Amino acid sequence: MGNNDHYVALECKDLQASAMSIDFTGNYVLLAGRRCIAVKNLQDKSTNVLKVQRQSKYEVGVAEWNPTAYNKHMCVISSNERIELLHWRNESLTVSHSLRAHTRVVTDINWHRTNPHVLATCSTDTFIHMWDIRDSRRPILSLSAVAEASQVRWNRISEHTIASAHEGDIKIWDDRYQSLPVQYVAAHVGKIYGLDWNPYLENQIASCSHDSTVKFFDSRNPRKPDFVLNTNAAVWRARYTPFGNGLVTVVVPQIRRGENNLLLWNISNKAAPMHTFEGHKDVVLEFAWRPSKANSKHLELITWSKDQRLLVWKISPLLQKMCGHEPEIISNFDERNLVMEGHICKKAARFQPLQQEFSLLNVHIPNLEIKNMNVNSRIVNVTAKVNSFTVNLQVNFPSDYPYGTPPDFQISTGSILDAIVESKLLQTLVHLAQQRVSKNRTCLEPCLRQMVSTLEQLSKDRDNVKLYKRLYGEQGSPMTSYNDAYIPFPRTSGAKFCSVNTLVCFGRPIITRRIGSKSESVGTPRDLSALEGILAKRSTDQMTVSAYYFQKQKQKSRSKHALARASKAIVHIYDGSNLFLINRQLAEEYILEGDVATICKHNAAAAAVVGRGDLVQAWTLTELVLAQKQIDKDGLWASHPCGDYLIESLIQHYALQSDLQMAAMLCCIYRKGQQISLQESQKSAQSPMFSGSPYHTIPPADIVQDGWGFPAIAKHIRSTSLDNLKMEESVIKPKLPKIPYVALYEYYKIAYAETLHRWRFLYNSAEVMKYMAIPVQIQKGIEFLPDCDRCHKITRHSLCDKCKRFPFHCVICNMAVKGLANACIVCGHGGHTKHLQEWFAIMNECPKCGCNCLLETADLLNLT
Amino acid sequence: MVSIINSVDTGHEDMIHDAEVDYYGLRLATCSSDNSVKVYDIKNGASTLLDDLKGHFGPVWQIAWSHPKFGNLLASCSYDRKVIIWKETNRKWGKYYEYSNHDSSVNSVQFAPAELGLILACGSSDGSISILAYTAETNSWDSKKIQGAHAIGCNSISWAPATTPLFSGNENEQQPLVKRLVSGGCDNLVKIWREDGDMWIEETKLEVHSDWVRDVAWAPSVGLHRHTIASCSQDRRVVIWTSENCINWNSTILHLFEDVVWSVSWSLNGNILAVSGGDNKITLWSQNTEDSWHCISDVSKGQGHINN
Repeated sequence: MGNNDHYVALECKDLQASAMSIDFTGNYVLLAGRRCIAVKNLQDKSTNVLKVQRQSKYEVGVAEWNPTAYNKHMCVISSNERIELLHWRNESLTVSHSLRAHTRVVTDINWHRTNPHVLATCSTDTFIHMWDIRDSRRPILSLSAVAEASQVRWNRISEHTIASAHEGDIKIWDDRYQSLPVQYVAAHVGKIYGLDWNPYLENQIASCSHDSTVKFFDSRNPRKPDFVLNTNAAVWRARYTPFGNGLVTVVVPQIRRGENNLLLWNISNKAAPMHTFEGHKDVVLEFAWRPSKANSKHLELITWSKDQRLLVWKISPLLQKMCGHEPEIISNFDERNLVMEGHICKKAARFQPLQQEFSLLNVHIPNLEIKNMNVNSRIVNVTAKVNSFTVNLQVNFPSDYPYGTPPDFQISTGSILDAIVESKLLQTLVHLAQQRVSKNRTCLEPCLRQMVSTLEQLSKDRDNVKLYKRLYGEQGSPMTSYNDAYIPFPRTSGAKFCSVNTLVCFGRPIITRRIGSKSESVGTPRDLSALEGILAKRSTDQMTVSAYYFQKQKQKSRSKHALARASKAIVHIYDGSNLFLINRQLAEEYILEGDVATICKHNAAAAAVVGRGDLVQAWTLTELVLAQKQIDKDGLWASHPCGDYLIESLIQHYALQSDLQMAAMLCCIYRKGQQISLQESQKSAQSPMFSGSPYHTIPPADIVQDGWGFPAIAKHIRSTSLDNLKMEESVIKPKLPKIPYVALYEYYKIAYAETLHRWRFLYNSAEVMKYMAIPVQIQKGIEFLPDCDRCHKITRHSLCDKCKRFPFHCVICNMAVKGLANACIVCGHGGHTKHLQEWFAIMNECPKCGCNCLLETADLLNLT
Repeated sequence: MVSIINSVDTGHEDMIHDAEVDYYGLRLATCSSDNSVKVYDIKNGASTLLDDLKGHFGPVWQIAWSHPKFGNLLASCSYDRKVIIWKETNRKWGKYYEYSNHDSSVNSVQFAPAELGLILACGSSDGSISILAYTAETNSWDSKKIQGAHAIGCNSISWAPATTPLFSGNENEQQPLVKRLVSGGCDNLVKIWREDGDMWIEETKLEVHSDWVRDVAWAPSVGLHRHTIASCSQDRRVVIWTSENCINWNSTILHLFEDVVWSVSWSLNGNILAVSGGDNKITLWSQNTEDSWHCISDVSKGQGHINN
């Protein structure tokens, strides 16, 4: 092993990078320093490097790419107390956002090994924060460690375990039990510089320290280390190799002893390192393993040193074997599937069966793509995409296949599927292959077809049944519980106002008690995942919301459980009538028909019955005001303080009190009064005096009466009486603020009519709606609009706006139609509804043109 | 102050998450963690089970009745990411429409005011809001989605009343009704959305809560030229938002409660607010003439009983 075991990938003096990380694909290396961040493509052998300037006075402490395929474009760096998230897309690097919660310098960052969104950070402020990067506002979890933290590392196998280093101690946490560490290890006498979990053994953790040792602990039983590796210098980093049981160490860079080498150890031989990587001229700052490409025999180690050189070291199969790596055992580790390919027997004579099988393979399998089929290396690579799953499968055919030896299936990098699905899939494939080769039959095509159908089945299961079970069922995968962390905690009590004055309430029975309510300081949790966390502590099979509130252990004889069940789901319906001034009895009793005086008297009497003295007064007062108004011919009363003003202030008063009923009723009666006096005054000779009255804010009675269409108010009318215009303008101006009140009255009437409708007083509701100035419902569907025979303008009213002529004449009586009318959609002839009804009772054809109106119209409207 | 008129033992096998009475006050619908929706006849103090609707594969979080002019429709949303609209035909309830275009739990459903047509809004934990509109001509449901309405998740939605712009401005021409929504989510924000053409745009973002917003409710406006919204949050506060123009909003903190607040509901006239939360208590609030809010009822623990 000479000096040709490494090459310089990059030499860049001005980088001054302090942190280095390699991405998921193994192609990009990120180097970060105070002044700039650089990204180097390792496949690009030239000296090209992308640099991004940083505007910061702080060094970059740590950098790490996301280790999952899903978020492989993300990288995170720490800068003083901040954590910055970077996006690497289309060969450019952008800062996406930063995470702030630490109050002191961040000492370490570590991505969750499998969940692409979770990040753990630690700081000298003693906290370990866990973040979901989609919510940058605050950490999803904070662990308080008392002592300042220097390192944080997720377990490579168990998704809930995380270790942190504090001076010479290690704390091991479970993210489901946040209050205390599950293990406390007094590991070293000197400060711990580095932590690393064994990639294969779930419970083994290695720590390296200033005291010149690397210690290996069993996290379940950490009283004393399993074994210790003694070196002659403080150890800066000690990391497991992704093969065999090797370990690479680097000494502390601060102590300048001229030791710029990396040491490779086989853990089973603690006496001396297996290999020394010599090449750097200054201390090694960081090193990382390059996720290797499939089929490559060499693994690569990337190192970054203070000499500003990035070196790539090839780890030969020999070196791998020296570290205890046995290539025959093809193992899936670290989900990156570093494929070891050292062992392919090349017995040329026996290619035929495989070659034949490959040539006969039907490559048109739905959802499946065959990427590579190589008879010589006896490898097939396929990609299957089924719904949310993407599976890259590599099939290796041993030399004696298909004679009793099944091929080997491996799911390789880039696959998107969870561990459960993966193991199920492999199990199915191996089983099928075994069945076939035991009869010396080939198995590739059946296996591939089986894979697609298995994936389809699994994705279906996942969408339906698993989804449901997952909620309260057994501990889900980390993804599930993190999803639940975004679903609000279920409501178990509530109150809703419904219909008019109904209050619907539901709640938990009195006997319920919240779990953990002894320590009352804890409020109701925020999200669903809390349920899982809390209930996991108890050995209950009933993981539902009710289990959270009903304490199972306190079942006192009798049928208390049955009692609890029965009362779990009671809904109480309250009558809230007393909360509101609006009265159902009055709604039924009140009338709006007849002359104003009768209405007021009747309604006052009704109010007296229900004991609303104030309403009696109001009705009496209204009666007086309106009576005076009717005999008032000169319009002076309207502006009298006891005239319109009084009614308006009454309406306002009741509206403010939220007595919508009274406000709306007064609006109706007020309007009725206005309509009547308007009619009166129009009957008498129109005097200029009239135009000065505020009645002009409502439409003239003749148009309101006709029922054909309601015109709009105010402006419109002014234009109809051009001769009065000038005078109007001058007088009306001060009264302009009245207009919004008119609109307001319309609301009261609509709202009250709706209330009546909800009570099913349909007649009363319609009565109120008669007093609307503007129709509420916009006409939808077919509308019949006549056009004026003189000006040929379409008009919506019975009278042409321009010519003041009636445009529509009845085909039967030849008179102008003002009221209810019908017309044939096909021929356009029509007239008074009454006349047409009589006509079509005995005839089929149109009285004018012989069109078969009824049938044609019905046909057109699809009524037949 | 309020009198109990009916107690319905729904017989749900698990906790109830929502209960609502229909437009006329004749029927009660409830939904529960037992995945079912139940409909009861509560006319004249009865409590007869009309139907037990099964179709969800997860706890059902919320239900909503439609305006009766569209028929007897009931919408439900669930943890199973689905929204189901149920319809009663000849006294039998059946699935009318199923919408499954959300990627996470759907937490809130509400029908739009009837004046706007048959429209349903849904808020989901995938952060988006869906607006499903029914077209009678084609007998089909058309969906629009506000993607990323709330980072992390949308917990609640509520429609603005439709009557507001009807009489404003030029009375000659009826203005088209403005469709507005308010939503609350895990980003601690309350957001107001308006339909602009065929897009939904974020009109305003209201920021006062310091934790997840659990419920929002737009008050029915009875003519007042003022919009009022109530929002409640995990931060134990209820906030009343008022605005003259839907752009500038003023906030008033109604009260700081003892536990998280789960729901707010306005009375039909918009003058009383019912508040409920994690402490299993229900309180009623109203505004006095000085515009300050005060509690007009207190509630004993459990059972949802209301005392005066």
